[in-house]
Amino acid sequence: MAQPVVLTKNLKKFFPSKKGVIKAVNGINLSVESGEVFGFLGPNGAGKTTTLRMLATLMTPDGGLATVAGFDVVKQPGEVRRHIGYVGQSGGSDRPATGLENLVLQGRLYGMSYQEAKKRANELVKLLQLSDFAQRIVYTYSGGQRRRLDVALGIMHRPDVLFLDEPTTGLDPQNRANLWVQIQKLRDSGVTIFLTTHYLEEADALSDRLAIIDQGKIVAEGTPQVLKEEVGQDCITIGLENQKEKAQKLVALLKEKSFIRSITEQPEHLNLYVKKAAGSLPQILQMMGQQNIKLQAITITKPTLDDVFLQKTGYSLRDKDADEELQK
Amino acid sequence: MKTLHDIRLLFWRKMMETLRNPIFIIISMSTPIIYLVLFSPLLKKLTGVPSFSSGNVLNTFIPGLLVIVAFLSGLFVGYTMIDEVKTGVVERFRVTPVSRFALLAGRVLRDLVNTLVVIIFFALIAIPFGFHIHLLGFLVLLVLLSLLLITTSSFGNALGLILKDEDRLSPIVQGINLPVLLLSGMLLPMSLAPTWLQVIAHFNPAYYAVEAGRLLAAGHIFEAKVGEAFLFMVPLTIIVVVWATKAFNNAVS
Repeated sequence: MAQPVVLTKNLKKFFPSKKGVIKAVNGINLSVESGEVFGFLGPNGAGKTTTLRMLATLMTPDGGLATVAGFDVVKQPGEVRRHIGYVGQSGGSDRPATGLENLVLQGRLYGMSYQEAKKRANELVKLLQLSDFAQRIVYTYSGGQRRRLDVALGIMHRPDVLFLDEPTTGLDPQNRANLWVQIQKLRDSGVTIFLTTHYLEEADALSDRLAIIDQGKIVAEGTPQVLKEEVGQDCITIGLENQKEKAQKLVALLKEKSFIRSITEQPEHLNLYVKKAAGSLPQILQMMGQQNIKLQAITITKPTLDDVFLQKTGYSLRDKDADEELQK
Repeated sequence: MKTLHDIRLLFWRKMMETLRNPIFIIISMSTPIIYLVLFSPLLKKLTGVPSFSSGNVLNTFIPGLLVIVAFLSGLFVGYTMIDEVKTGVVERFRVTPVSRFALLAGRVLRDLVNTLVVIIFFALIAIPFGFHIHLLGFLVLLVLLSLLLITTSSFGNALGLILKDEDRLSPIVQGINLPVLLLSGMLLPMSLAPTWLQVIAHFNPAYYAVEAGRLLAAGHIFEAKVGEAFLFMVPLTIIVVVWATKAFNNAVS
């Protein structure tokens, strides 16, 4: 098998702070294969961007090893730079220039001649549908248009791997959907993509394989499908307000049952992950009846990546995101 | 070779900004004109005051003004730098294999061209007001002013890159601006100053440039003060450029 495009071994990055050392990235092992979209999912501050910045030679690791396209990020930063594309959170397109000028300059900085750069720029204008605005000054672009230009800049020189840091953050749903389509198109054209996101749906929709990171450590890794199935085929959510003691007894009894794959307890409800909801529901209801528990609500869903996240970290990424939105 | 190629590309990127929006050059031209029209008439009465050159007052005043134009044009470039840090442009370039020196030099060269245009334009405008240019001396002065501009523009760019925030940059550049201006001897010659002030002035690159500039504009090229100015400016320029290149290499945003 070919060598992984991105390979890290026990990668670490620490930041000093007033409260002591923050272990932003605390021993990460990753491997990204050629041609895949690798998703890096985690909440804000989990260490995603720090990892990406180390891989893109913008930051020096404090420990461990990382190679990109076969080159060591610390010892051969020049070689790594030649082989990667990187689109940071703030994009990178130059506002006072036109989209086309941005693209041509980017190509020429990687050593293309003017003609080559022009040709490649026109290819990308077509591929990423930039033709309506490529001739305009970037100041006039909408957020979504600018993001597409940013991505085009990242692949101008046909890199071995394209790093996308939170590519759809700040975009409205329509532009997000559009960018997803563009990213899938890139994948289909053979570009290896390493993207970070804190959006569950995004990681699910785009990644061939993903790693979940929390507090600087990887807590799960695999294809979205396998990760979700590990949790269970169906998720039965039972609403149980103000019945905490009885609920705990129920959980203890349920844990002994073979049809239960796993259980996560939330303040107001229980998530029961089972192989088949239809087969196990009568038994669960019966047990609830025996325990004298009043059923307040029940829903059956397919597990999402949030269920995976919840099970691995003990908290829900969706709730955390919602909390952060509220604080803003 | 590759570095030169990179510098050329990055210089033209910034130059295109100027050419698209020449208004900024016109604005920077207005500052010296305001000095010329609103301040230089006050100097007329000073002819013959000790320490002012006995001849034309403008010949004392204009070279100092040119020095300050060169100094300030470089000092304030940090603001554009911060803008490019925030929009991710700097980061994008830092991920390319472009030489770190070229990242700095492309910007500084554009500032140099813009500033020289303003300075030459201004020297020409001052002629009808009574400013005498000694051509060879003026050319040497342009070299000295270029060194000064390269130093302040490199410093301003690196400062923007390191601070990444206008609110942190402002107090520093404003804090440098006024003392350098006053201690340069541009408004009144430093020879009028008490000793302690003169001692402090000797740490001010603009002071050396102003002193030398007055001699050069009058055509006195082989003077000790001219040599002193170059002796001070050449090493300072090298040190600041090396430091600023390092900032591009290390910056973490």
